Amino acid sequence: MRAILNRILNSEFLTFNEVLRLKVAIVTIFVITFLGLSMTTSTLNTFTLDINIIVPSFIALAILLTILLTIVNLSRIAMHFSIYTIIGITGFIVIGSHDFFGFIMFFVTLTVIIFYQDILTYLLYGGAVTVAGTYYILYYGSSLIGTNSIDPQVSQMTYIIVLIGFYIIFLIQFVVSDNIYEKMNNEWVRMNKTLAKYQDFTLHHLLEMVEKNGVEPLYRNVKFQQTVSELSVFINEFFEEEGNNIAEYVEYYFFLHDQDVESIIDNKDMKIETRKYASQFQKYLMNKRSELISMLFDFATLLKGDDEYTTDRYSYDLDKLFSDRIDKFLSLAVLYKYLRTEVTQQDKWGNVNIILTHSEIREMFISKEFREFISYEQVNFFLDNEELFEQFL
Amino acid sequence: MRQDTNKYQYGQLETYKESLELKHIKTKTLIINLVLFVFAFVVGYFLIKLEIKTTHMAGILTLFGVLFVANLSLYSYSHDLFNNLKLAMYFNSILVFVIAVSLILIFQTPSIFTILFLAYAVTAIYQDYKVMILSNFTLFLTGSLLVVRFTDIFSIPGSTASQNVLILIFLIVFVLLLTLSSYILIKRKSFFYNQLAQIKESEVRNMDLLMEVENIHMKKKFNSTNYYKSLELFSKELSRKIGIENIFSRKIKLLKDLKKYNLSEINERYPDYSIEEIKELKNLELSVNKKMRNIGIKSSKSIGIEVTRKEIFSESQFKSFKHFDDEMYVKIISFVVFYCLLKIDKPYLKELSEDKVKDIFLNSEYYYKVDRDVLNIYLENNKVFDTIVNDLLKDNLNYASHT
Repeated sequence: MRAILNRILNSEFLTFNEVLRLKVAIVTIFVITFLGLSMTTSTLNTFTLDINIIVPSFIALAILLTILLTIVNLSRIAMHFSIYTIIGITGFIVIGSHDFFGFIMFFVTLTVIIFYQDILTYLLYGGAVTVAGTYYILYYGSSLIGTNSIDPQVSQMTYIIVLIGFYIIFLIQFVVSDNIYEKMNNEWVRMNKTLAKYQDFTLHHLLEMVEKNGVEPLYRNVKFQQTVSELSVFINEFFEEEGNNIAEYVEYYFFLHDQDVESIIDNKDMKIETRKYASQFQKYLMNKRSELISMLFDFATLLKGDDEYTTDRYSYDLDKLFSDRIDKFLSLAVLYKYLRTEVTQQDKWGNVNIILTHSEIREMFISKEFREFISYEQVNFFLDNEELFEQFL
Repeated sequence: MRQDTNKYQYGQLETYKESLELKHIKTKTLIINLVLFVFAFVVGYFLIKLEIKTTHMAGILTLFGVLFVANLSLYSYSHDLFNNLKLAMYFNSILVFVIAVSLILIFQTPSIFTILFLAYAVTAIYQDYKVMILSNFTLFLTGSLLVVRFTDIFSIPGSTASQNVLILIFLIVFVLLLTLSSYILIKRKSFFYNQLAQIKESEVRNMDLLMEVENIHMKKKFNSTNYYKSLELFSKELSRKIGIENIFSRKIKLLKDLKKYNLSEINERYPDYSIEEIKELKNLELSVNKKMRNIGIKSSKSIGIEVTRKEIFSESQFKSFKHFDDEMYVKIISFVVFYCLLKIDKPYLKELSEDKVKDIFLNSEYYYKVDRDVLNIYLENNKVFDTIVNDLLKDNLNYASHT
């Protein structure tokens, strides 16, 4: 329980799979609670004793299955099972009691489905639950009409309108947040990839510096390897008696730096363990733009001090940055000059030594993707005066 | 020691997050107003159909009227729009519940009681922490009070008093489920705002880092003089081609002067330009400002990058030392290598003291990037870590030449 609470508090740092597992765990706790409540209310329902034993038993089995599926990491299937279970409990309470608290279960079920934040699941199961709720009110709603009701028909209609309204409003919320979430994610992944390119270049400069200075790369330095090994053994001693077992994995990690890791991973003749560790260590190599290197560069940027924030700090669109037409054209000329004179590309061996040619820049300028940086008007200005750009910049 | 994982984060993060949020809160305010307008229409129809007392009808419709007028005023007052819309958000959340409770008290039937859930759904569109607390609390409080104090509302032919207790229990569990559900969803949403804001700043800083390393490696600096010369020549030829006088030259001179003089001095020398225009032009200045250089870097690197839908929701996009499918040994070794790299002098980052490293691991997002057990061992034994590094690494490496 404490672990679940901790996970809830730090849920933003969990992976998608971990979040789904957490959600299934939370729903399971609620499902168990509602099962308990349904059994408590069984004295009020109209079912026979057999039904009152068989149905909750099946529901308990379904809960058990959900837990098992979560344990074996089949979270998605577990999610569906938890939904079936809550639908089952809703049916059991609603049909059995024909009371107002039973009707609340339709909202509970919708909330559980909403919780999973999967639009298709919501459309399908949520839609089915809403239809079932509407059907229930249309045919059995008379048992839920209050004694104060002015017009029973209006009361019935109110139930239906609120249930459908609840479904639709959450559907709207889904569409809005899904849209925002997807756009943000898309932009984030795109920027992650762009960032990887900058870091590729940074690393390349650093590797070239090491090579030029004739210094032994760190991953080949015995003292560095020894330090990593000793620290790893020290940590591992907290996990297993033979802390030293990790030492050979440290050796393997450093060994991988001079190997073609992809070919090790793909080599089916090698031991599974060897390939598995090669694949996992690949993310942390020091001579590639790995996750480790990316995080190291990000760490470095964290300590570089803060510039003042301006509203255009993350804007790269020349058309938006400048309102004056002359400035727009001048900035285009500067951009062209930058691309035409600075080394911005890698050759086929990965060396940073390529400057873009006029025709390559032209192609870039007229591409659809480049509208992120320059407007159609600027492209037309460039095309109209192409020869001047090429000759004087 | 008290932990604050926001201690080490980019200083620009909060401001940018606010601007990101503003964009979305605008859309949400419009949607909520639209939903409430439909809601008002439906309520109005039933009030008329049921021939409710005029005073009641006028009261409810006035509440809707106040809501729309307040929203319209707050939305149209553009000064400090972010806070205005936040205010509208809290106002709407409260008023929606006031309307719901008023309707419940007018009709006093179980069917109208469910309108509280509808009110909750409307406020849930905002996906905001404070609204979540407000609406969950209001739903719980009003719901419970109505069940306990206005038992008549739930009176159904054949029902017993124990059923009211059950309604209360179901309501409590329901509110608990809603609270947990919204808490996790809002946390995730805030995390993405954070991630996006962070990566925007990270991009600027990584470009700076790239330039810093490139300058060390190539031993050269950005030659702005050469750029201005080319611009002068280009603009001269352009003016000749178009057949106009050179309207660019004065701007280019101003750009060069931006390096020498401050804003007020420039304004004195170029009185025909407003301060805003000069500020805008600063982005075009090349020797001090990095904007144009950054646009050059970004545009040359970001073309051709494609994002598939599979990647959008892929866990592999998140960098950490604790990928869930990684073996424990891998989690340990990757963290140790990273730690050792922080303790070494590098061209782009000086060696960090042990206290600093520990402080950052404890008080930054890196706290969540390392396996919790591994990190705890480090945090509790960091002096041992430091001693091992000092014994083995210090004086044995030509630090600054390494990556």
